[in-house]
Amino acid sequence: MNVAIAIDKVSKRFPLPGDKEGVLALAELSLTIAPGEFVAILGPSGCGKSTLLRLVASLEQPTGGTVTVNGAAPGLVSAQHALGVAFQDHALLPWLSVHDNIALPFRLAGRRIDEPAIARLLELVGLASFEKARPKQLSGGMRQRASIARALVLEPEVLLLDEPFGALDAVTRRQMNVELQRIWSARQITTMLITHSVDEALFLADRVVVMSGRPGRILREVQVPFARPRDPWVMRSEAFHRLVDDLTAALEA
Amino acid sequence: MRPLLVRLVEDYWGILLLLFAWQAWVVVNSFNPIVMPTPTAVLGDLVSHPGVYLGNVGITLSIAVFGLVAGMLVGTGLAVAAWFSPIASGLLNPLTVLFSSVPVVALIPVIARLLGYDTSTVLAIVVIITFFPSFVFASSGLRQPPPGAEDLFRVLGASRLDLLRRLALPAAMPNLAIAFKLAAAHAILAAMVAEFLMGTTGLGYLFAKTKSDFQTEQAFGASLVATVISASAFLAAGWVEKKVRERYS
Amino acid sequence: MKQTLLGALGIALFLALWEVVGRTQILGISWPPLSDVLAELTDERRRPLFLRALGATLESTALGYLWGTGAGLILATVAHLLPALRRGSDRLAAVLNSVPSIALGPIFLVLLTRESTPAAVSSIHVFFIVFVSVSSGLQRATPAHRDLFAVLGADRIKRFGRLELPAALPSLVSGLRLAWPAALIGAIIGEWFGAPRGIGILIINAMQNFQIVLLWCAVLLAVGASLFFYGLLTLLERAAYARFG
Ligand SMILES: Nc1ncnc2c1ncn2[C@@H]1O[C@H](COP(=O)(O)OP(=O)(O)OP(=O)(O)O)[C@@H](O)[C@H]1O
Ligand SMILES: [Mg+2]
Repeated sequence: MNVAIAIDKVSKRFPLPGDKEGVLALAELSLTIAPGEFVAILGPSGCGKSTLLRLVASLEQPTGGTVTVNGAAPGLVSAQHALGVAFQDHALLPWLSVHDNIALPFRLAGRRIDEPAIARLLELVGLASFEKARPKQLSGGMRQRASIARALVLEPEVLLLDEPFGALDAVTRRQMNVELQRIWSARQITTMLITHSVDEALFLADRVVVMSGRPGRILREVQVPFARPRDPWVMRSEAFHRLVDDLTAALEA
Repeated sequence: MRPLLVRLVEDYWGILLLLFAWQAWVVVNSFNPIVMPTPTAVLGDLVSHPGVYLGNVGITLSIAVFGLVAGMLVGTGLAVAAWFSPIASGLLNPLTVLFSSVPVVALIPVIARLLGYDTSTVLAIVVIITFFPSFVFASSGLRQPPPGAEDLFRVLGASRLDLLRRLALPAAMPNLAIAFKLAAAHAILAAMVAEFLMGTTGLGYLFAKTKSDFQTEQAFGASLVATVISASAFLAAGWVEKKVRERYS
Repeated sequence: MKQTLLGALGIALFLALWEVVGRTQILGISWPPLSDVLAELTDERRRPLFLRALGATLESTALGYLWGTGAGLILATVAHLLPALRRGSDRLAAVLNSVPSIALGPIFLVLLTRESTPAAVSSIHVFFIVFVSVSSGLQRATPAHRDLFAVLGADRIKRFGRLELPAALPSLVSGLRLAWPAALIGAIIGEWFGAPRGIGILIINAMQNFQIVLLWCAVLLAVGASLFFYGLLTLLERAAYARFG
């Protein structure tokens, strides 16, 4: 079987000051993601979703178990500049313009800056007329859109998105979902999306994973049956509603 | 827009009051000008002997500027070295905390014994006085990147050099500007104290010499010039600091 | 733990270097070995001289510190409560801070006595630092808190006493810490203008008589006086930040 991301019986314990036990954020969690697969992760706040993503990005080391990306240690993918990330917190550099923030991955990879690609992405996320603006001159949602553009600009092999649309209004969020699907369909990047929106997860993903908290475990996995490309109309279908109810029930369990 | 007079009083009441009190104090006590001249007499001396002042201002100012730049470069450079190596930073940090609370004027005679009683000692004092705030503020600035930025750089596979150039140094700019503001006003005053003790050239020397020659008006003239330069440096550096803060955060 | 060890190692290395440079005389006779300086510093016969000098300087510094703190606190508070005075007092403080200390000496000599000039110069140094830290501290209360107090119907005095003053405390304490070395410098410079005794006098005399080891002793005394109280004030600052930070 072809595997892009393999998470094998991974546990993660965070030390707490004055507490020998610490917090067990993840407990023997296993999950595999195929190349080009889009997996969405749902779960209550604090259940370890961001921690899982940070393990795949090699920003944390597991306490137990192993994580591999493309068969190698996850640090290798970032060393090859093949990882795209949008964090929950936008992490834009305040001293760079929107354009330069999006160009940053090229600079760090030592590659020539692909201006047309940046222009296309700016257009896509609706920030074309703000390319010279500073992050502090943007609204919260605009900052998130800039950080999504930055995650996509290198055409990464693996894309990690941590609640990238959390600060957007419903309409913009829907638009961004459609755009993200289009970009993803063109190149089928292996993607891990963390979200609190069941609709969003079902609309975008091939597979939806529901986690439970304390310690983080996988509660349910659902294969999404809808054919691609998906039209937003699919969200009105009977089947879609049934899946939404099903997953919401799992989340509330 | 506030009317000119209102603005003058609102912004400068303290300084005007001070000058007025000085004038009144001297007149009421009818001090001999050798003991204490009036501000108007000091101004008069400034206007009538501009050449004496100008030469010495040039010397002191260039030493102060050169020392300020050198001290900031050395301080930032060492902070970067400490940033690269945790061992260097562990060795250096407590030492600089110790040194930054050392009364630097007490070191002037010692440095003079080592470097000679001349301009190099004056310069060394300015460098030392600039070095400590630069090192301390640069060190903490280099370690305060915006939230999440360090993770981002790791995920994007940034090299250590890129991390320094594109993240740590820009993040340290506001702090460096604060160090600059603190050091700018003190550079010229420290140079003057050193010149006062060394007694070779500059405003501090002019002060010492005219004071012992009982040319008190000129001694105060030298101090007045130094005050104006130092206060302007402080205000200008404050402006620079504000601009840098806006640019980098 | 590792950091503490490294730091101790750094200081030990510095002291060892001092000794080696002094022993080998690479920098000439102006750099005596640390052991010689310490021997002189602990010499019984020198003790009365050192104690008198240290006592005089500490007394001037403490006086200047108190006066400067009082003046800085009062002006900053008044300027905060009467905004019309704020711009003018900022500028006054900046100009006072820009007057060369060596010019303050002769002025205070006329205004006061030889004995009180060191404390007066020292108080000017302290005044500026305390003024700046208190003024910026008083503005640290966030707009959200101010709104909350307005909604709760607090008057100006209540807002000052219950919100702005506590918010300014950490900043004041940082200022108090930084002001100590500055106060000591002011006292030392002030002593150059005819004070009968003090570390500043010791330094000048040793310099003029080429008593190198004595000069280093005086410098070490000044450093010790600075560090001891600086350390104490740092502890106080930690406590203040823990409580009000
Ligand atoms: N650096 C850390 N140190 C200590 N504990 C941590 C750390 N990071 C996360 N945790 C703990 O791990 C658990 C999971 O955190 P995580 O950020 O992964 O949650 P999440 O599912 O992303 O939540 P949310 O939806 O609110 O973003 C939490 O209990 C949190 O307190
Ligand atoms: Mg999270």
